[in-house]
Amino acid sequence: MKAMTLLQTSSGSFRRWLVSSGIIILILLAIFIPRQVDKQNVWNLFFLICLHISLGQSWNFLAGFAGQSSLGHAAFFGIGALVTRTLWFREMPFALAFISGGAAAVLFAMLIGAPTFRLRGAYFAIGTLGVAEVLRITASQNLPLISTMSGPLIATYDLPARYYLALGLALATTGAAYILLRSPWSLGILAVREDEEAAQATGVHVLRHKLLALSLSSFFAGLAGGVFAFQQISYYPSAPFSPVWTFDALLITFIGGLGTLSGPVIGAIFFVVVREQLAVNLVEFHQVIFGILFILIVLVFPGGLVQAWERLIKVSIRKEKQNVNISK
Amino acid sequence: MSIESIAQTLVFGLFVGGIYGIAAMGLALVFGVLKMLNIAHGELVMLGGYVSFWAFSTLGIDPFVSLAIVIPVLFVVGLALDRTVYRHIVRLLGEEKIKNSLLVSFGLTLVLQNLAQWLFTADERAIQVSYAGVGLNLFGVTMPYTRLGTLSIALVVTLALNYFLHHTYPGKAILATAEDFEAAELAGINIHRVYMMTFALGASLASIAGTFVTVTYGISPSVGILWTLKALIVIVLAGTGSILGAFPAGILLGVVEAVSGAFIGATYREVVGLVIFLLVLILRPQGLFARS
Amino acid sequence: MTKFLGINHLNASYGDIQALWGVSLKVDEGEIVALIGPNGAGKTTLLRTVAGLHQPLSGTVQLGNTALHTLPAYRIVEQGVILVPEGRRLFGGLTVLENLELGAYSQRARDARFKTLKHVFELFPILAERQKQRANTMSGGQQQMLAIGRALMGLPRLLMLDEPSLGLAPMIVQNIFEIVKLMNDRGVTIFLVEQNARQALELAHRAYILEQGKVVGTGTGRELLRNNEVRKAYLGFAPTAR
Repeated sequence: MKAMTLLQTSSGSFRRWLVSSGIIILILLAIFIPRQVDKQNVWNLFFLICLHISLGQSWNFLAGFAGQSSLGHAAFFGIGALVTRTLWFREMPFALAFISGGAAAVLFAMLIGAPTFRLRGAYFAIGTLGVAEVLRITASQNLPLISTMSGPLIATYDLPARYYLALGLALATTGAAYILLRSPWSLGILAVREDEEAAQATGVHVLRHKLLALSLSSFFAGLAGGVFAFQQISYYPSAPFSPVWTFDALLITFIGGLGTLSGPVIGAIFFVVVREQLAVNLVEFHQVIFGILFILIVLVFPGGLVQAWERLIKVSIRKEKQNVNISK
Repeated sequence: MSIESIAQTLVFGLFVGGIYGIAAMGLALVFGVLKMLNIAHGELVMLGGYVSFWAFSTLGIDPFVSLAIVIPVLFVVGLALDRTVYRHIVRLLGEEKIKNSLLVSFGLTLVLQNLAQWLFTADERAIQVSYAGVGLNLFGVTMPYTRLGTLSIALVVTLALNYFLHHTYPGKAILATAEDFEAAELAGINIHRVYMMTFALGASLASIAGTFVTVTYGISPSVGILWTLKALIVIVLAGTGSILGAFPAGILLGVVEAVSGAFIGATYREVVGLVIFLLVLILRPQGLFARS
Repeated sequence: MTKFLGINHLNASYGDIQALWGVSLKVDEGEIVALIGPNGAGKTTLLRTVAGLHQPLSGTVQLGNTALHTLPAYRIVEQGVILVPEGRRLFGGLTVLENLELGAYSQRARDARFKTLKHVFELFPILAERQKQRANTMSGGQQQMLAIGRALMGLPRLLMLDEPSLGLAPMIVQNIFEIVKLMNDRGVTIFLVEQNARQALELAHRAYILEQGKVVGTGTGRELLRNNEVRKAYLGFAPTAR
């Protein structure tokens, strides 16, 4: 705790140096640990973590930064998966198929964006849920029941490549969020989150900012879907459209801390690790635990683990100050 | 298409619509009075269905009779949920309240769905009563007793609810709280008791719908979200301020689904409801029945 | 005279801002006490706090020996302290009759409601005429009458009114003030917040002036009507020569 207190009270530049080097160390660990260990379940675990980081961070763009809690996130994930898989299986080079998946998701988002953004609050939430469900039902009716990689693709299946793609996406998504927050657009977007009417009154073009957040959100969600489609040897094509992906994004971002940069990262790590651990022992129980945890977070710690951590540090700083005063 | 098959389709639409209506009224009550969106409403429907299944499979009680058990059980569950979880959210205001209720109820869906899965396994359960498949046959239209039972009880429940809300003091207190909760407080109404009772009442209505679902289709832990979505569609059609209007809106949805299902196939039937829902949401948010 | 309503060193906030700073005042049984002051002074916050809609930060509100500041709103209504809130706050979608019936929700009032309803219809014949009408289809003046009628259905010992004249034509305001006087003659204690300072001071036995959350003056109605500061600030007069 003393070290953390030191961190909080020390000068800005020292802190920044510390945080940056911490991040770099984390990234290096993420790159090299799975390679060192080189066990399939470790690659898979790290893959899932990175996939879920992208999933949560992409939702964070819309819900955390712009304050639009959409329940239709699975639509973008599903479109990305569908387009990527279909184009790739049709002999398109993967990189192109991958980007197309993201682009298709953005295209869809822009189509439904303007009308959907006319809805507010609860109506926006259930409206987006409705849209995603329409997509899921349509997909499940029209797509083949199962999609399997062809023989040659299975033979050349390279798990590490998939992991590094997922890692790259997770870094890109978080990096994009970082850049957005430092960009001139950030003020407008955050203003929309805090108070839409006030933002409008001060001249912020509300719809434009929402659409920007939406396009980033859908793009990275679509890419995440593409990563998923790349990794799954065989899956149900309608599965990526399932609301489960939306709810996972919600869980991750909330547990970690909505509207923060590190929130989805922490949340994804927590979520995936706990889920994999519990899935071994108590199959149904992990959902119950997440549910209860989620409820507690909403009621007590709306800022998620990030907020809980910050509160802990504040308390320890206060204690340090008290100790210093007493010892004087 | 023959007249008979059209009539048959319409009649089955009515039957299903009755279930939609009851499910939706429960959600409409909670949304209209507590101003909260309970995404776990479908899970309450599901739990109600499981209680009636349990009553049938272990005690041999006819599902319609088992309502006497199902309703009180879910009433208590509703009270418990309000006391432990929703009570903390109801004191928030406006958008924050709605957002938080969405989130909290989402957490509850995880808990309730997996609780059901743990207790009853993920398999679908169904009730096979002795008079299943038997029914009236009017003008070539088949009306199974089970379906007639659900529709008639649904109608009775709706009328009873109407009487309760408009002609008794507790009911009027609920309507008053929905209109203006501070004015209700100033009239001497204990609004926290109203909130608790209303939520429990909503859960009871959900449980009735759940019993109907088990009798009509069968029940499994994952149907929760489907029923939440159905209830949402119906209350948007009816207009979110309308509590009793949810019943005719449910009937309407049932009929529209059945008719479109006959023309474009059963699989797209669901999409029709959703598309209408989205159109109403965007173009006429006050609902189809509201006086604009 | 026993202290009927006593407010002692009340501190209360409105949202994040403190609105009341150590307010102390009293209303004796059978009185009409007015509270005047500029917009935003905290008058509404004071009434709402007494009625139990807000929890005070500190201080007490007593009705005789009973502490009100710890009670929830519905219990305060049971004690006979009833507020006619600013802006009427009727149950718009419900009928006039239903609104009145809901005013008699507490057990004591409910038992007597048929008798009380008759009295209210005598006072406000227009309400009897329009019983089955929905409340939000009535004019402003009629709505105010309904709001007062609803409060009367609760058998108040202390009736509090927040800006009853707001947005109403002078003749209707006159009518309402007459009824307030009538209620007082019948034994109801009145605590009145009014923008219309002149009428409030003419009606009231005593009055308080609230500015920026603090009581800055008090006196009988007549005294304040003659007071130069009050005349300048609230009655629109230039100071008279003395």
